[in-house]
Amino acid sequence: MSSWPRVSWFAAVRTATGGMLRHKVQAVVLGMVLLVATASATLGFALLAANDGPFIRAFNAQDGAHLIVTVNPARASSGQLAATRTLHGVTAMAGPFGEATVQSAWQGQPFGQLTLVGRSSPGGPVDDVVLNAGRWASGPGQIVLNNTAGGGGPVVGSKIIVTGLPRAVILTVVGFASSITNTADGWVAPAEVASLQAPGAAPSAQLMYRFASAGTAAQVSADLAEVTGALPPGAVTGAGSWLTAESQNTGNGAIMEPFVVAFALIGLIMAVLIVANVVSGAVAAGYYRIGVLKSIGLTPAQVVLAYLSRVGVPALAGCVLGVVAGNLLAIPVLHQSADAYGVGSQSVPLWASVAAPAGMLVLTVLAAFGPALRAGRLSATQAIAAGRAPNAGRGYAAYRLAARLRLPRPVGMGLAAPFARPARTLVSLAAIAFGATAVIFAFGLSASLSRAAGIQTLSATVPVEIQQDGPGGGPNQIPTAQQDAAVTAALNGELDTAHQTLVYENQLKVTGMSGTANVTAFSGDSAWIGYGVIAGHWYDGPGQVDVNTAFLNASGLAIGDTTTIDTGTAQVTVRIVGEVFHPSSEPAVYGSTQTLPGLATPANAQQWDVGLRPGTKTSEYVEAVNSVLGRSSPWGATTRKDGGKFYAVAVSLVGLLALMVAIAAGLGVLNTVLMTTRDRVHDLGIFKALGMRPGQMLTMVVCWIVGPAVLAAAIAAPVAVALNTATVHAMAATAHTGIPASITEVFPPGRLALLSLAALAIAVAGALAPAAWAARARPAVALRTE
Amino acid sequence: MIDHSAPGDVIRLDGVTKTYQSDGPPALAEVSMGVAAGEVVAIMGPSGSGKSTLLNLIAGLDRPSAGTVTVAGRRIDALGEGALARFRARHVGIIFQFFNLLDDLTVEDNVLLPAQLAGASRRQARARATELLARMGIEEYRDTYPARMSGGQRQRVAIARALVNQPAVLLADEPTGALDTATGQDIGRLLRELNQGGQTLVLVTHDPDLAERYAARTVRIVDGRLDGVGAGVLR
Repeated sequence: MSSWPRVSWFAAVRTATGGMLRHKVQAVVLGMVLLVATASATLGFALLAANDGPFIRAFNAQDGAHLIVTVNPARASSGQLAATRTLHGVTAMAGPFGEATVQSAWQGQPFGQLTLVGRSSPGGPVDDVVLNAGRWASGPGQIVLNNTAGGGGPVVGSKIIVTGLPRAVILTVVGFASSITNTADGWVAPAEVASLQAPGAAPSAQLMYRFASAGTAAQVSADLAEVTGALPPGAVTGAGSWLTAESQNTGNGAIMEPFVVAFALIGLIMAVLIVANVVSGAVAAGYYRIGVLKSIGLTPAQVVLAYLSRVGVPALAGCVLGVVAGNLLAIPVLHQSADAYGVGSQSVPLWASVAAPAGMLVLTVLAAFGPALRAGRLSATQAIAAGRAPNAGRGYAAYRLAARLRLPRPVGMGLAAPFARPARTLVSLAAIAFGATAVIFAFGLSASLSRAAGIQTLSATVPVEIQQDGPGGGPNQIPTAQQDAAVTAALNGELDTAHQTLVYENQLKVTGMSGTANVTAFSGDSAWIGYGVIAGHWYDGPGQVDVNTAFLNASGLAIGDTTTIDTGTAQVTVRIVGEVFHPSSEPAVYGSTQTLPGLATPANAQQWDVGLRPGTKTSEYVEAVNSVLGRSSPWGATTRKDGGKFYAVAVSLVGLLALMVAIAAGLGVLNTVLMTTRDRVHDLGIFKALGMRPGQMLTMVVCWIVGPAVLAAAIAAPVAVALNTATVHAMAATAHTGIPASITEVFPPGRLALLSLAALAIAVAGALAPAAWAARARPAVALRTE
Repeated sequence: MIDHSAPGDVIRLDGVTKTYQSDGPPALAEVSMGVAAGEVVAIMGPSGSGKSTLLNLIAGLDRPSAGTVTVAGRRIDALGEGALARFRARHVGIIFQFFNLLDDLTVEDNVLLPAQLAGASRRQARARATELLARMGIEEYRDTYPARMSGGQRQRVAIARALVNQPAVLLADEPTGALDTATGQDIGRLLRELNQGGQTLVLVTHDPDLAERYAARTVRIVDGRLDGVGAGVLR
C-alpha cells in the first residue's frame, strides 16, 4: 500500500502564517495590545522594584557613609585622623576632605547657605557620589552641585557667587551629582576650599566612615563616641548619621507603592481579558479555514500548533517591542524616582525585563490554547459549517425594541447590536470600564496629590518665606533681636504684605511620651497659613495645640485630651484641639508662642511665613524685601517651593500609567469592533445597498460600542472614586499620617460626570478606525465578502 | 460596439468598462445600452459573463472603470459614496437571489429600513410598508423573522423592501434562482404585475424561460460584451 507524504509541522506553521498575513489588522492589534501590556508590566515591575527599599539598596551600592564627622584639622594631626581607619568596627573610611560653609547667590538672588567639600573625584571607599550630569570639578572656579539640573534652578554653566568673603568667588557649575546621605551641597576641587573659607574662620574637614554595626541610633552614637575618643578634645565639631537620610527617604518610596500596585493590577487584568478576546476571536474567525485545512489532511495537533503560531508570532513581536518600550519609558521615570528618593540612580532590573514579556507570552498562549484545542477537535465539516453560519437568534428583541424607539435608525440598530454578541460585549465593557477607571482614578489621584502637596507645602497660602540665608548670614550665626525686628519692619513696610507670622521651631518633651516631639510655635495669627486639619480645628485660644498623626499614635492621646508639655523653660498643660496633616513618622506639635512659653527666642526663630495681597507678583515682592533688608542681614526672602519632587514624580507616573491602560483599552475596543465588523460585513453590504450613507454607517458602528461604554462609565465612576479613596488612605498610612477629607473629596458630581466621558472617549476612539473602514467599503465588495 | 440606448431612457450606459484587476480581462467591455421607463429588460448570459457586474453598476453599488452610467436622469458614475447611497435609497430598489434580508429584523422592520434610511416620516413609511405587505400577500407575517419564512415569502419581503421608497428602477438579480419552479413563477407573475403598474424592471437571469415569459426585451451578454444576437428588441 502506498503511503501519502505526511504534512510537515513546518507546513502547519507556514499555513498559520498565511492566515495571519490575511488578517494583518488583527495581528497588529494583538501585537499592539501585548506591546502596551508588556511595556506597562515592565514599568510596573521596575517601579515596584525601585520602591522596594530603594534607599538601602542605593546606600549599599554607593557605599554610603554611616557616619559623617566634621573635624577641625587644626586640633588633630593628619596621622591622628588617618588612624581612625583602624578603630574597632570601622570597615571603611574616606577623607579628610576640606570643607567650607558659605553664603551664596545665583542670578542676583540669595541661593542659601552651602556646605562645599573639596574632593578630587566622586568615587572612593565611602560615599561613592553618582554624577548625574556634566563632569567632576577639576580646577579652580568649578563646582558640582548636589542635585539634578533644571526645575528652574541652576544648570551646567550657571554661575554661583560665593558671598560673605572679602572678594566674591565665582564658581561655574560643571556638573550635578547625588550623595546618598547628602554629605555636601556641592563639591569643588580640593585646592578650592581654602579660598572659600572666611578670614578667621576655623578650618573644617569631613571624615566619612562605614561601620560593621550602625543599624540603630544607639550603635551610630557608639561609633561616634569611638571616633571622638580617638581624637584630641575639640577636634570633632559636628557629626551626621545615615539614619537621618534613611528616615527622610524611606517614606516617599513606600508611599508610591499603593498606586503603582493599583495600576499594575488594572493593566494586568485588562491585558489578559483583551488578549483572550483577541485570540479567541482570531480562532473563531478562522473556523472556515480550519475546516479547509483539515479537509486537506492537517491533524488536530497540527491545527492546534498552527493557531498557537498564528497568535504566537504577533504576540512575540509585541512582547519584545513592549519590553523595549517599557525600558525606554522606565528610564525617565526611574530617573525622577531616584531623584525623589535621593538615591542617585535606579535601573530596570533584569528579572523585570524577562518576567514581563515571558509572563505576557504565557498568558497569551494559555488564552489561545482553549480555542485552538477546540478548533483542533472540530471535524472538517463542523468547522466549515461553524465558520459560515452566523450566530442566529440573539439580540432580536433588542432590535425590535430599538425599532420602536424614536431614534435615527442607524443609532437604534447600533445600540441594539451588542445584544447579538453578549460575551464579546462583556469583554468590551470590561476593557472600557478598566480603561475609564484608570483615567478617572488618575485624574482623582493627581488632584488628591496636588491638594496634599498644596496643604503640605502651603505654597498657595504662604508664597514667600523669610529664612536665614541672607547675604549677611554665616554658619552657626544666630540673628540678633535687632535683625529680627528689621525683618518685621520691612514686612510691615511692604503694602503688599497681607499676613506675616514669625515661626519658631525646636523640640519639646511630652509627659508620658518617650523621646521628643518637634514643635512649631507661631508668634501671631497663624490660622491664615492654612495647615490641613484632619480632625478637630486649628487652635484658636490660649492653652490649645494641634498635633500630627504621629504624635497621636506615639502618645496614645486623642483630640480633646490634655497633656503636659515641657518646652525646656516651662511646663504647661495644653489641650489637643486638632489633628494636622503632616506626613512624618516624627511627632509634631503646633501652637502659639503664648501657649508654648520659652520658645520665642532668637535661637529658635526659624522663618517668617508671609501671605501676599491678591495680584502681587511674588518675585517682585521678594526682590523688594531683600532690597530693604540689605546685604548685611542674615535674613533673606525666598519663594516658597511648591509641590515637592515626590508629588511631581507621582503625578507624572500616574499620568503615564493611566495613558497606557487607556491605550490598551482602546485597542481592545478596536479589536472587538473590528471582529464584529468582519462578522457582519455582508449585513453592512446590505445596508449600503439599501441606501445607508457613509455617515449613517459610521454612526451605526460607533453606536455598537456606545451602550457598553455608558454602562462602563456607570461602573467605572464609583469604582474609581472608591479606588482613589482607598489608595490615598493607603498612601497616607505608609506616610504615618491621616488625611484631611478635602484630599479625597476631589470628585464633585459635575467633574465626575465629565471624567466619566472617558469611557465614551475610549470607546469611540477604539471604534472609529473600523467604523471608518465600514463606512468607506464599497457595497458591491461588502456584499461579495463573507 | 452595439449601442442599445436611446434618448429618454431611464437607464443609460455609454461605453461602460469595468476591470477588477489591471492586468486581467475586463468584466464588462464598452457596454452601451438603455432601458426605457416602464420597460422590463432581461439581461441574460452564462456564469461569469458580467451580468451581476452590470447590475451593480446600474444600482450604483460599484463604479465603472470607464464610461458613464445615467439612471433616472442622473449620472451616477462620478458620485461620491454618500451621494450614491442617497441615490440608491431614493431611486433604486434591488432584489437579490438570496433575498439578503436582515435576519435580526422583523419582516416589517426589514421593509421599513430603506424608508427610514432615506429619512421618510415614520407614519408615511409605516403606511407604505403596510400597503406593500398587503400587496405581496404577507401582511400576517409582519412581526415574523425572515428565518421562519419560506423562500417565496422571503422574496416577497425583499420585493416589498425594494419598493418601499417607490424607486424609479427595480433591479432583480436572479430573483427566482433560489426558489422552486412554482414559487419562481409566482414571483415572476408578481414582477410582471409591478411592471404593468408602470414599474421599470431590469431582470438578471440565466433562465431563458423567465426572460421569455416576463421580459419585453432581452439583452445577452457574453464575456463582458453585449451579444448582438438575442431575443427581444435591440435598440
